[in-house]
Amino acid sequence: MKPLFSVLFVIFLLVGSLKVLAVPQTPARGQKTSKAAADKKNDGEEGENRFRENCGRCHNPPDSLSPREVKAVLQHMRVRAMLSAEDEQLILKYLAP
Amino acid sequence: MRRALGTLLGLLCGACGIYAQSDVPILSGALAFIGSKTGGAPSFQPIIAPVLVAPLGDHWLVESRANVQGFISRENGTSGPYNGQFFASLDYLQVDYIANSHVTVSVGRFLTPFNIYNERFPLWIANLVDTPIIYTIGTRTSGSSNGGMVRGVAVARANWILNYAAYASALTTTENLQSGRAAGGRAGLFLPHEGIELGASYQRFLQSGDYNAAGSYVTWQPPQIPLDVRAEYAHSPGGQGYWLEGAFHLARSRDTISWVSRLQVVGRVQQYFKGKPTPEDLLPSADVNQFDFGLNYYLPHNVRINGSYGRAYSSAGNSNIWNFGITYRFLFPAWPGEHK
Repeated sequence: MKPLFSVLFVIFLLVGSLKVLAVPQTPARGQKTSKAAADKKNDGEEGENRFRENCGRCHNPPDSLSPREVKAVLQHMRVRAMLSAEDEQLILKYLAP
Repeated sequence: MRRALGTLLGLLCGACGIYAQSDVPILSGALAFIGSKTGGAPSFQPIIAPVLVAPLGDHWLVESRANVQGFISRENGTSGPYNGQFFASLDYLQVDYIANSHVTVSVGRFLTPFNIYNERFPLWIANLVDTPIIYTIGTRTSGSSNGGMVRGVAVARANWILNYAAYASALTTTENLQSGRAAGGRAGLFLPHEGIELGASYQRFLQSGDYNAAGSYVTWQPPQIPLDVRAEYAHSPGGQGYWLEGAFHLARSRDTISWVSRLQVVGRVQQYFKGKPTPEDLLPSADVNQFDFGLNYYLPHNVRINGSYGRAYSSAGNSNIWNFGITYRFLFPAWPGEHK
């Protein structure tokens, strides 16, 4: 079993190093404006897009959840569905504005 | 293993108390009742599958799912009085450390990440009640693994996302907590704008003679059409096969909500080809061709009614498979007074 754990550890290190290579998705998907309200609206729309693209593959939007409940659900789904931190934040803004 | 899982449970309870002020644990899951008739033999299955999720700050998460299931059938299959048995199992109880978008480390008991059916389609998500014939390939012995797992998004771009999971599991024979000694992983490429995901899986089963299992999968949800297409292929020395499923909501678009759009039509075809029987593979002893046709109706408040008919063609005997069920999906805070 020891060699297997060694292999997994190496994979862990390699994947961790990929963080350097990865780039955020925001610049390609959203436009920045100077107004906070516009930002919030854009975030909500982008959050809806992210919800449809990721969560909508299996789930409908929940009927009524508090922001704290949404946060717990999103942390759960971040692990399950491998959402990025950015996806989590945008979907949080969409589900609990 | 029991001691380790007990320790995890203790940590979960303690942590819930410490972090109750900032993070709300939630209790989710499903209640279901399924009636089936397979080859003329009727059976009924009441099921409860609770899911507990306890965030501990932004980086730590404890999550668990159990499954308590009854199986009520006639004593002689198609005749005699009804007898019932109940089974309980722990599907997962894991502690996750979410380091960043690229790495999440999980330890404990977790769902084996082989292809997608095992992890992504629990009772309340799956379009058909019956699991695919090839389900046990890559997920034996119980669908769950006891050990450690690393997963996350390896690379994220605007138009594509590469995800991965890698794990190692120890042999556990404790009742309700079984797992195989195995290691493996999965990698998937997701194209969010197209709604397409492609992936491949591998498992090295390190007991009973050491066997390899490999698989691949594809899902497609076109953004404008309420169509879901899913397919898996899996191969092991014990056998190989595939399933292909299509599900369509009777609506013009995904945004349409009406009584008709709540109806979903499902079709699935499967082919299985037996190989050399291996211990604990739980695969059919003969080749099987099977099709299933189902109707699901999604009522408000997370209730779903489903019915399906299938026909299996096998040299061991052909059979009709009828299923009818109702599923209720629930979610509420596990801590009182935190709903709003």
